Amino acid sequence: MATALSIEDVRKRYAEVEALAGVSLHVEGGEFFTLLGPSGCGKTTLLRCVAGFLRPDGGRILCDGKRLDTLPAHRRDIGMVFQNYAIFPHLSVFENVAYGLRARRVAPAEIRQRTVETLRLVQMEPLADRRPDQLSGGQQQRVALARAMAIRPRLLLMDEPLSNLDAKLRVEMRTEIRRLQKELGITTIYVTHDQEEALAISERLAVMNAGRVEQVGFPWDVYLAPRSAFVAQFIGASNTLTGTLAGTDGEWTRVQIGGWMLRGRRGEGMTGRVLAVFRPEAVELLRDDREPPGATVGEGVVVNREFLGAILRYRLRLADGSLIHLDEHKPDPAGLQKEGERVRFAVRPADVMLFPAESSP
Amino acid sequence: MHRRGDIWTGVTGIAFALLLVLLIIPLGRLLWASLLDDAGAFTLKHYREFLAYPYYSRTIGHSFLVSGLVTLCALVVAIPLAFLIARVDIPGKTVLKTLAILPLVSPPFIGAYSWILLFGRAGYVTTLLQKAGIMIPTVYGMHGIVLALSLNLYPFVLLMLAGALQALDLSLEEAAQGLGSSPWRVFWTVTVPVTTPSILGGAMLVFLTAFAEFGAPMIIGEGYQVLPTIVYSLFVNEMGANPAMASTGAALLVLCTTAILLVQYWAVGRKRYAMTQLRPIPPVRPRSLLRGLLAGYGYLVVGLSLVPALVVAVTSFFESRGPVLYPNFSLGNYQEVLFNVPRAIANSFVLSTASTLLDVVLGTLIAYLVVRRRSAVTAAMDSCVMIPYAIPGTVIGVAYIVAFNKPPIVLTGTFLILLLAYFIRRLPYSVRSGSAILHQIDPSVEEASISLGVSPLKSFAKVTARLMLPGIVSGGILTWVQTITEISATIFLYFGAWSTITVVIYRQVSSSNFGSAAAASTILLVAVFIPVLCVNWMLGERAVTAV
Repeated sequence: MATALSIEDVRKRYAEVEALAGVSLHVEGGEFFTLLGPSGCGKTTLLRCVAGFLRPDGGRILCDGKRLDTLPAHRRDIGMVFQNYAIFPHLSVFENVAYGLRARRVAPAEIRQRTVETLRLVQMEPLADRRPDQLSGGQQQRVALARAMAIRPRLLLMDEPLSNLDAKLRVEMRTEIRRLQKELGITTIYVTHDQEEALAISERLAVMNAGRVEQVGFPWDVYLAPRSAFVAQFIGASNTLTGTLAGTDGEWTRVQIGGWMLRGRRGEGMTGRVLAVFRPEAVELLRDDREPPGATVGEGVVVNREFLGAILRYRLRLADGSLIHLDEHKPDPAGLQKEGERVRFAVRPADVMLFPAESSP
Repeated sequence: MHRRGDIWTGVTGIAFALLLVLLIIPLGRLLWASLLDDAGAFTLKHYREFLAYPYYSRTIGHSFLVSGLVTLCALVVAIPLAFLIARVDIPGKTVLKTLAILPLVSPPFIGAYSWILLFGRAGYVTTLLQKAGIMIPTVYGMHGIVLALSLNLYPFVLLMLAGALQALDLSLEEAAQGLGSSPWRVFWTVTVPVTTPSILGGAMLVFLTAFAEFGAPMIIGEGYQVLPTIVYSLFVNEMGANPAMASTGAALLVLCTTAILLVQYWAVGRKRYAMTQLRPIPPVRPRSLLRGLLAGYGYLVVGLSLVPALVVAVTSFFESRGPVLYPNFSLGNYQEVLFNVPRAIANSFVLSTASTLLDVVLGTLIAYLVVRRRSAVTAAMDSCVMIPYAIPGTVIGVAYIVAFNKPPIVLTGTFLILLLAYFIRRLPYSVRSGSAILHQIDPSVEEASISLGVSPLKSFAKVTARLMLPGIVSGGILTWVQTITEISATIFLYFGAWSTITVVIYRQVSSSNFGSAAAASTILLVAVFIPVLCVNWMLGERAVTAV
């Protein structure tokens, strides 16, 4: 059974900055868990605390219920993949992967067998004798991965491992990493600032902001039911409008935005100013007088439009001057709206999330 | 990782203790000695005396004048040469660049001695011209010092400027041209400003080295005294040594050097242009006649600066009787040196090797602390460790005598005092070369090793130290070369059996034993050139920055 990891109220301060303000998380054995957040949110600090390169100021880190944070880094039995790969430049590919096994005084024959086996897993076996400077970025990444996995660690930690690769290779490698992790069943903690990558690769993820965990959940939940304005805005594209609560309308909450009344879901416990957040794909362009039942209809002027292939993205200015995005899928070249044209759009109340205004970042 | 009481805390403590005992205390004692009268009361009379008597005070002016002229000559010679090497396609460029490093590592007193062999009272050229009825002024005095030092030190400017020029990206000049500037305008508005910090940096190195130079002025200056030589004269005066006045001179020497550094800091500051080079600027290939002339200039300058080595080497194989040399092949000089002073040669090798090893070990550890364990403490250590860099050898010499000739620590007359003086003088080199290479090694490589189960200390040895090795070795060889040619501190500190090869050369030149002086110089030059050429070959282009 793979190792479970518990992080209990871990704190870390650097001089003026509270890097981790009491973080608690539980990662199941064999799970692929992602720490997602903007730079400076504390995700890398947390990962380095788990790895043992940083000592937390408070809290506990447990592996299968046993203290991990009291062990020195080299006794933690953790595989780590670094952002810049950190390949040993003076050792061959084979020796890089065998390094951890040699430190564990594994028998030579077994070292050979396990190293070759791991290299085969990452499809690097034919390049075993190469020097690291003869490898491409993607190949170095595979070596780094193999090196971390060869020791069959309790935990696999990855610190933005794909950020130095080009976009296409990044997508390829993340699929590969997920396949390997499933195959070996190693509990994995993955750090990234790329929300799309996080949604694609994770079983569960934690969204972090300013040293705190904002939300933990499945990718689907975090995207569809963000618990804070920060999460809503950080994950995926979103429109944010500031308005004032104006009572309820059946099951919906009404928000006054300039002269426009928008309806949204979930208004409990909020008073006064609120943020209304909705996705660009939830905004529907209306081409005739027909109004979708139950939706809020608004008006705006086209500021500009971007053709992104699968999507046509309009930028609209509302009456109060605020801007929103509207995504049209499968755009029809015949129905293009010109800049400066006045258009009508509809938003379903179920797609509008409301958050207290002061919780905005 | 920052556990209390780990190995690095110990290293920090040892480093600070060594700096305190070997640097701060001796310098403090030196200052103290210059401020006390015979009765032990505080006084400024030594300073008044030093500045009141022209015999002393003029040496300050001399030092500035000589250093200024040397710097000027170095700039005039080196700037065109740097452009030539960086921008013009001349044959044998690599050879030229390699040869240009050699003057830097040959001790200037050998250069001075060699110019005396050529243009001295009984010099080869002087005698030859006399036979033809032409009288020329001798080489002794200020112009001799300037000649010898300029030809030794111009490579500082050359290497720094050539490095900067070669690091310029093509797009920078193209961008300026694209904006409508003429090539001439591009040169003045882009190339010159961007490379000025390198030129000034090189000029400052030349000035400081010339200012601290003891051997060349002592040998070729004759009556022309500069600060380091007057300090020595005061110390060994036949009319009775005057340690208080020597200390005063040494203190003034430190004061001047510090002032120069402050002026440099104020004028240039930390202005450096970081450049990301993608495409180097291709060298121009002028028409063959011009190309030949330019190449000729390059080879002339570099050749001229290697004349001393050549003259000394040839002379060493002449028959000699005192200052008289006969152009017959003979190994007599080598026999004399090897039979009479084998101990001094052995001392030089043993002392340089031992102090270099100490420098390399401690310098590497300090570099690691300063780069990887940044804190207020290690930052303070970084500054402290760089002090010897600005302290002339003469000052270390006087300070060590003053500090270590009476209890609690008595070291005078032992080999230890030389070893420690060498060690502390060259420690900055090891720290700098160590930290330079450490900055290029990503810390995560060491962390990767730790996370794979290797303890921090073993990871440092197996990964970081291993990756630092090329830098450590080249830095160590340069330290060794600088140490074995040391004379300005040695001349104060050597005693009887602990003489060194540099002292032997100096003594033989002083007593006009030109033959054995040439043999000893040749041995020293060979010992220095071979490792330097090896480093150059090992590092290729990067050797420039190592110097």
